[in-house]
Amino acid sequence: MNNEQKHEKKKNIYSWILSLPAMSWLIFFFLIPYIIIFIYSFYQADIYDIKAILTLDAYKNVFSPEYFRSFFISFRLALITTFLCFLLGYPAAYLIARSSEKIKNTLLVLIIIPFWTNFIIRIFSWRIFLSPEGILNNALIYFNLIDTPLMLIRNDFAVILVMVYVYLPYMILPLYSNIEKMDFTLLDAAMDLGASPKKTFFKITLPLSKDGILAGSILVFIPALGAYIIPQLVGSQDSLYIGQIITYKIKNIPRNWPLASALSLMLLILISALMVLFYTLHIKFKERMIVKDEDEK
Amino acid sequence: MGEIRLENVSKSFGDFQAVNNVSLTIKDGELFSFLGPSGCGKTTILRMIAGFEVPSSGRIFIENQDITDIPPYKRQVNTIFQNYSLFPHMTIFENVAFGLRIKKIAEKEIQNQVFEMLRLVQMFDHKDKYPNQISGGQKQRIAIARALINKPKVLLLDEPVAALDLKLRQRMIIELMNIHDLVGITFIYVTHDQGEAMSVSDRMAIINKGQIVQTGLPDDIYERPNSIFSAYFIGDTNLIPGEVIGIEDDFIEVQTELEQDGERLVLDSSCHAKVDKGAKITLSLRPEKIAISRQKPDVKSDFNIIKGKIEDILYLGTHTQYIVRVGEYRFRVFNQHKRVYFDDMALDWEESVYLFWHDIDSYVIQEQDMSLNGGLNNSE
Repeated sequence: MNNEQKHEKKKNIYSWILSLPAMSWLIFFFLIPYIIIFIYSFYQADIYDIKAILTLDAYKNVFSPEYFRSFFISFRLALITTFLCFLLGYPAAYLIARSSEKIKNTLLVLIIIPFWTNFIIRIFSWRIFLSPEGILNNALIYFNLIDTPLMLIRNDFAVILVMVYVYLPYMILPLYSNIEKMDFTLLDAAMDLGASPKKTFFKITLPLSKDGILAGSILVFIPALGAYIIPQLVGSQDSLYIGQIITYKIKNIPRNWPLASALSLMLLILISALMVLFYTLHIKFKERMIVKDEDEK
Repeated sequence: MGEIRLENVSKSFGDFQAVNNVSLTIKDGELFSFLGPSGCGKTTILRMIAGFEVPSSGRIFIENQDITDIPPYKRQVNTIFQNYSLFPHMTIFENVAFGLRIKKIAEKEIQNQVFEMLRLVQMFDHKDKYPNQISGGQKQRIAIARALINKPKVLLLDEPVAALDLKLRQRMIIELMNIHDLVGITFIYVTHDQGEAMSVSDRMAIINKGQIVQTGLPDDIYERPNSIFSAYFIGDTNLIPGEVIGIEDDFIEVQTELEQDGERLVLDSSCHAKVDKGAKITLSLRPEKIAISRQKPDVKSDFNIIKGKIEDILYLGTHTQYIVRVGEYRFRVFNQHKRVYFDDMALDWEESVYLFWHDIDSYVIQEQDMSLNGGLNNSE
């Protein structure tokens, strides 16, 4: 073994040692729990916990219309949330990216400030704000805009509103970091070649921020798909999202842990499939350039 | 066709006056350069012609049509950007086709025109590549093709070869000039490189602090600079401050600030302008016009001959540069290596030499700037 190989091997060992803490974290708190969930999904349900009898009961139930509907409305919620976050977040990210250094930092801090308050407290604030006796309704009645309080919570409107509020920064930040790196003389070039500001945006700006849109969408879409707390606190109990169903099956008697496990795995598979799809679409475009590059040589 | 006229154009950014009252006419079909140090306002002038900046005051005309308030995407002007600004997410074909697609021209026609354009710049084989797969020189050709396909009346070039290495730069400059001859439209070229500007331009303008210092043919500006800035910025020169003490038929006598043997040195110079006795002037003397020798040269009286000591010798391949001390002043002298030179070959540091030049080889500039010390101390 020559020196170079020895050096390589040493470097390899170091990188393994350095990644050990993160690896063990993922193994203990992610992989092993998922293995447990996987095993539980094949057990038989009991009203309190489980019976150690192997069965496929849980998977027979998973595909019932009731749960399909939950998956569907969760998926729809995640899509709407992501889309609204994009619509609201893009102009904000663009504005921040093109601001002067001083204003830029101030705006970024403003985006991050909500994170300093506890997530649950922020949702409760919305509840108080939107409730029939809340500030908003009282104000509207005071100014004679309405006679009776509007039902602003316990419905899908409130869920979407709060979801967008909570997840907006996750869209803005990756978009900002992407747009900030963009070469703005390209926009000059497009205008120089006859493109109006609108055309420049759709032909240059938007395609070039694709990476940021993708990153932001993934960061919003995935947690939105499994949303539990927000629908639970401000949503209606008539339409349950998949996160709520899973929680109820674990918490409420009669319990059904195997079914909850199976539903969790379904959610995981759905998300993973979407991730792989996004990722391959994304890689394909980049690869196309690289492969052609190598052809030349 | 593509005549451009600037009338009292000024532009300020906050407190900073980037362009100050520039008036200028660029003729149709001309290859015109704006030359100046960085931050002099030349790029701002270009951006105002392109439409990216709106003048704070003044008007801009193309073929007598006032375009000052027309947005960039409606002007028949196209730009070659410094880093070419090719769209990274589009193929070379799509980059060149961009302007035509915006105009919603039929697909068939787009293809014909793009192919023709790509052949013109010899990039047809690369049409399916992406910009990050081609070299700097190729990028520039695509940038040119992308601009020219729109049939602009004026092509603006913002330091178009600055991003390339020396050899390629020289080749691309020649290519640019060929394309200019071929398409025949007005080219406006911005650069801080005087060699580049002199080699490409039909005419050029020297810009300093947002103002035009001098406009003219390259050789005109080189041989007859109207100011210390022009003389100093274009090429190398020795700037010798002095006072006019005698006016003859075809030359003037200038008592300089230079001292030799305890006396103020008096030089003869031809003079193109009218000067009065006692006028404070500066003589601009190009280093290549000065001859250097160890023996006292046997020349006629219309030559200036001075004595000096060699302080530095810089061998530069095509020529040798000598720094020669005369009193407190350092002369810069170029000696071209185009003949066998027995005498100079032996010249060494600290050696006493004679410098001599014909009096028509110095040029009188009617201003003084004592801080420059002959342009030598400040220039490097």
